[in-house]
Amino acid sequence: MTRYVMVADLRRCVGCQTCTAACRHANATPPGVQWRRVLDLEIGEYPEVQRVFVPTGCQHCSDPPCVAACPSTATRQRADGIVTIDYDICIGCLYCALACPYEARSKVDEPVYAYGDDPTASETARFDPRTIGVAQKCTFCVDVIDAGVAAGLTPGKDRAATPACANACISGALTFGDIDDPNSAVSRLLRENKHFRMHEDAGTKPGFYYLWDKEALPL
Amino acid sequence: MKKKPFVTGPWPKLQRHWDIRAACNFIGGGTGTGLLLAAAAAAAAGQTFAPALAAGLCFIACGLTMVLLEIGRPWRAFNVFFHPQTSWMTREGVVALPLFGCGGLALLIHWAGGPGQVVAGLTGLAALTACGFLYCQARILRAAKGIPAWREETLTPFLLSSGLTEGFGILAGLAAIGLAPSWAPLAALGLGLLRLAAWQNYGKGLSARGVPAASMAAIQNIGPAFLIVGHGLAALLLATSVPWPGLAALSAIGGLLLAAAGWWAKQTIVMKAAVTRGLSIPRTPVRGSGTSRLVNKPNWETEAA
Amino acid sequence: MKPTRHGSARYVPTYCYNCVAGPDLLTVKVEDGVATEVRPNFAATGIHPADGRVCVKAFGLVQKTYNPHRILTPMKRTNPKKGRDQDPGFVPISWEEALDEITGRLNRIRAEGLLDDRGLPKVAASFGHGGTPASYMGTLPAFLAAWGPMDFSFGSGQGVKCTHSEHLYGEFWHRAFTVCSDTVHSRYILSFGANVEVTGGVCAVWRHAEARVRGIKRVNFEPHLSVTGAASAEWVPIKPKTDGALMFALINTMLFEQPRERLDIPFLRDRTASPYLVGPNGYFLRDPESRKPLMWDTVTNRAQPYDTPGVVAALEGAFTVPEAVEVGADDEVWTYSDVRVETAFTRMAETMRPYTAEWAEGICDVPATRIRRIAGEYLDNACIGQTIEVDGAVLPFRPVAVTLGKTVNNGWGAYDCVWARTMLACLVGALEVPGGTIGTTVRINKPHHNRLASVKPGPDGFMTANVNPTKRGKWEEKPTGRNAHKTLVPLVGNGAWSQALGPTHLAWMFVRESPESWVRPSYPEMWFIYRTNPAISFWDTHQLAETIARMPFVVAFAYTVDETNYMADILLPDATDLESTQLIRMGGTKFIEQHWEHQGVVLRQPAVDPCGESRDMTWIATELARRTGLIEKYNAALNRGAGSVPLKGDGFDFSLDLDKVHSGDEIWNAACKAATAELTHGADIKDLAWFRENGFFVVPFKRVDWYLYPTMVEQGLRFELPYQERLTRAGIELGRRLHEQDIHWWDRQLAEYEPIPRWHDIPEIWINALRNTGANPDDYPFWGVTTKSMQHTTGSNAAVQLMDEVAGNLRTHGRVVMNRKAAEKLGIKRDSWVEVRSVANFTRGQVELVEGIRPDTILITGQFQHWATPYAKDRNYPSLNTITPMSIELTDANGSGSDVVRVSVRPIEEVAA
Repeated sequence: MTRYVMVADLRRCVGCQTCTAACRHANATPPGVQWRRVLDLEIGEYPEVQRVFVPTGCQHCSDPPCVAACPSTATRQRADGIVTIDYDICIGCLYCALACPYEARSKVDEPVYAYGDDPTASETARFDPRTIGVAQKCTFCVDVIDAGVAAGLTPGKDRAATPACANACISGALTFGDIDDPNSAVSRLLRENKHFRMHEDAGTKPGFYYLWDKEALPL
Repeated sequence: MKKKPFVTGPWPKLQRHWDIRAACNFIGGGTGTGLLLAAAAAAAAGQTFAPALAAGLCFIACGLTMVLLEIGRPWRAFNVFFHPQTSWMTREGVVALPLFGCGGLALLIHWAGGPGQVVAGLTGLAALTACGFLYCQARILRAAKGIPAWREETLTPFLLSSGLTEGFGILAGLAAIGLAPSWAPLAALGLGLLRLAAWQNYGKGLSARGVPAASMAAIQNIGPAFLIVGHGLAALLLATSVPWPGLAALSAIGGLLLAAAGWWAKQTIVMKAAVTRGLSIPRTPVRGSGTSRLVNKPNWETEAA
Repeated sequence: MKPTRHGSARYVPTYCYNCVAGPDLLTVKVEDGVATEVRPNFAATGIHPADGRVCVKAFGLVQKTYNPHRILTPMKRTNPKKGRDQDPGFVPISWEEALDEITGRLNRIRAEGLLDDRGLPKVAASFGHGGTPASYMGTLPAFLAAWGPMDFSFGSGQGVKCTHSEHLYGEFWHRAFTVCSDTVHSRYILSFGANVEVTGGVCAVWRHAEARVRGIKRVNFEPHLSVTGAASAEWVPIKPKTDGALMFALINTMLFEQPRERLDIPFLRDRTASPYLVGPNGYFLRDPESRKPLMWDTVTNRAQPYDTPGVVAALEGAFTVPEAVEVGADDEVWTYSDVRVETAFTRMAETMRPYTAEWAEGICDVPATRIRRIAGEYLDNACIGQTIEVDGAVLPFRPVAVTLGKTVNNGWGAYDCVWARTMLACLVGALEVPGGTIGTTVRINKPHHNRLASVKPGPDGFMTANVNPTKRGKWEEKPTGRNAHKTLVPLVGNGAWSQALGPTHLAWMFVRESPESWVRPSYPEMWFIYRTNPAISFWDTHQLAETIARMPFVVAFAYTVDETNYMADILLPDATDLESTQLIRMGGTKFIEQHWEHQGVVLRQPAVDPCGESRDMTWIATELARRTGLIEKYNAALNRGAGSVPLKGDGFDFSLDLDKVHSGDEIWNAACKAATAELTHGADIKDLAWFRENGFFVVPFKRVDWYLYPTMVEQGLRFELPYQERLTRAGIELGRRLHEQDIHWWDRQLAEYEPIPRWHDIPEIWINALRNTGANPDDYPFWGVTTKSMQHTTGSNAAVQLMDEVAGNLRTHGRVVMNRKAAEKLGIKRDSWVEVRSVANFTRGQVELVEGIRPDTILITGQFQHWATPYAKDRNYPSLNTITPMSIELTDANGSGSDVVRVSVRPIEEVAA
């Protein structure tokens, strides 16, 4: 089996938002719609305070509440764990967005452009009318993965089969891959490091892991 | 034990996906169900039921129409029926079909002068499916894992009791002009007290579960007026129907207050208390040879055990 | 990555050099002639330190290209009045008309003389941050070179916005125009205000992330919890401008509380001037015959010239020397017999003796125990005595480093900090060795692309130094530029970069109002500006805009209308990043933290056709040269390498015909061939067509060449520390020269020339400056500081929506950042609006309440408060630049200032955009 997951190393992330920008490019999302973004959190009180940058977005949960909530079956989960949205079925009720504990979903009801009412040349070239009025979110760049796999490439290893955010990440914080493959980079990272997932109590079993420390070496 | 530090940063946010249109669906669904239930009782007892039945269907239909106006792709509304396996929204839609079928048929047969027993039976079926409809609505909110104030299980009894109370409140109004049975005000009063208990229970549930401060504040903000005007005053006015049945206007106002209080509470729950749980991490990373700290939930007024 | 086709899509390799941490290698996806996406260039995997990844700023380039607010035709001003309140009335004109207008004036200037009656250039030019415009201006440098004298002193922030003192002292002491940690080997880094995770570029971000996972400890001293502070193991919220005191205390602790063996005695003795004896007048004690500095030889028990073979110098102590001389300022000589003297090290130690951890605690607001602990950890990690093999060479391994950030390493107190940092490195032998504090590149010395080659033996066992003369007759009494850089700042040198290095705010100040005994310089008759917006990026921006409005004739290469070119007479639309051609060097060791194992060149090429009538800068430069009759000189400058690399070299000659007008492609084709010939000694020559396909060309660069230490050993040289004899002498001479001219307004600066820095209550300088304006310091209780964001720093991209949007994910973007409790005391609520006021001006913005900032400090990120730049002007962001005054009082001896200002904060009603 294949189960794609993202691993974010919080020790590495510096909140630069390169992944955010790369995602905006790769998926041609309109201004304000960020499928991938990095949070800027503060923990504690002055002077005992830490600041942490947390990449987030759709967690591609194993038990995705959005899939359960979706009345139209537009939101589905593939066998490889990727949660997708069929823009041609979605009714745009955004119930999924409220079911998601990760604030990962967006909707735009009419085209939004960077500079006022008119699109730029690149916005015109990339505009997809199917995305208007429906839910949208991170897809783990599913088209890239599928095209890559079809070409015999390994997502997470071969750049041409890897999500844009992981490719772009300048601190090496984001790693993508197949957790069911014990030899994948994500499996290795999860073996070698302590990790958690966000809002584990929600029972969603996210496919998005956060590394926070190295695992104590076995004696 | 040292208190775990709180996270600050991206604060829990008020959801912007559902607005007054969505709130109207919960309002219409609840009130309509209450009216249908009252209509079924009246029909069974051979009392005036048709205005309540018609009004109930109208409320539910209006609510659904508002949803239609809210969704991004209204022409695809039919797709809502695709996922009955898990989606409470699909189930709500599915249940609405027999609801309108039975209710509409009951009205048609009634107006056509058909047999009263059939009408009463169909009205009863409509009321039964409406209860299912209301239950689905309550579960829609419960299943929204992104909104802690909706996740609270005591919200379901509140929504059920409020729906019935609103419907009976309207029924009290109808009764004042002779379009509903005279027991309506007292029934409304009784349900109102039940709802009040459910509301208090919901508040306690929120406190126990812990929700973002903004959610709690929204609920608490309406508390006094909801209690005094929406229940105390409403109850007093409804109670006038016992000693002074002639002052029907007073009990009508009481009934409307009772209904309006429920609508206000739902609008508050859907639009103002609907704060996301926020994004947080359970602990901080170890940067180089730094240290990791355990983290509390973000800006939540109370903390889950 | 080669330009490849998928359907109608092409992938074009190019570079981004929007900040000094470039170039980043990227590919641009082009669909049907439209640039749609930026991606990393993974063809650079294994070559680029971050495997071809690209900084966030590069993702703004697509929007930058298609911004509808771009200037897309040449324009001229129709309103002769200039000012913020005057609509310029720009109207489109043809390129012909625009160039005629410009070159007509240039030709008149040439005919009448290039200098005005005070000897100042009549033509001036200003470029943006850190030389980054040079990677976009095509062959304009060749035109500038062909023109002759030109004034580059009207800065966009140089001196006050750069790491100025680090540039000057860093290059003086260890050929380090910028300084960084050798992160790949470091184990312990003390970071004083350095924000490498924001400004270090992808290479630095990658290296530090690797180091964190490896377990490095970085301690970040900063008044607010910056991104770098966040990513550090420990944040120390130090009081602003007290970093020097803390570093002194670290030195004190190491010197007086730790055994000497914990220091690197051989390094101090043999690679620094620590053993040099210092005479009674404060100059090195010298051999009467050779005039070489003396050391006390522990073998012969007598003073010996520093380069005497076999000498084993005493590092510290006092000694009696029978015969010696001292050479002071203006060659004054004192002759001694049996003079009792100390070593430079002892002088240093005694100067540092009062600066205990307890003393620093009171100044820096950092507990003494913490200072001691950090000093101990620094020594624990220094690995004294250990070595490491790099490229076959055995080098000292000293994995401890000290890095400094802006506001620490510029302005008053910067000398203390830069000296103390370098001294901390010397104490443990961690200067220019693996794991330690190392340099990156040179800009005051030559050659710019090889700092090791810039090392030449100079006087007294030290390297040569490009220091402006201060002796009578040699001192530049009459400035050749409006900021008087050679006149006032010996250390800034006289290289191509020196004038623009600063002090550039002096040019802006002097043209308005000159100090006593100083002739007010004229405004230049023509001012070229390119990729710079000083009316936003400098200080006291309202007044600066007024000064710009007085410029008689301004030619602006313009992307959009902005706050500076609002005062322009001609706007020229240049083809921007993705639309034009240029070849630049990359790799080796470069600015900030660029340490590659390759070096080479990379091409920027048009991924798309230029929008509108915008033109490639090379075409514009060539036209300017042609129309001013300078084509021969222009071509000669190109042949010398003014455009990129010398076109003629050892075994190759791709020189351009001097008398011909060459197309851009001809010029860059020659550059491509020459660059590859230079890199491969003629073995592998690639032309422009090859570069268009392949993007870049590299050859290996040895890792051992990241470090200066081997070169110093090879040439038998010492780092010029701890004792600053040469600079003190220069300072005294400079003082004499200025006083001879009856100039006394630089006296405070002259006092900074001390052989060993002493603490001078640096924060109090700002308090006093307030008092001197008649203000009550109590009315301005906060320190206002600034910081950068990776999304915007140096990118000239405030008009790029995507950058603004993604920067908004950080809490500090576009906000006045305050400590939560301090704000609550003032009744300031989360997300409310505040006014921040200094004696100079005020700025307004929404407040962000955080825990990670000192209660006595407020922070405003970036450089905003635009009023003309489309998109940016609607943001309504605050700016510290608006409220930071320019003054000589707040200018240090090197002519730099710090981004610090005393402010008040009060809540206000919301301000509409």
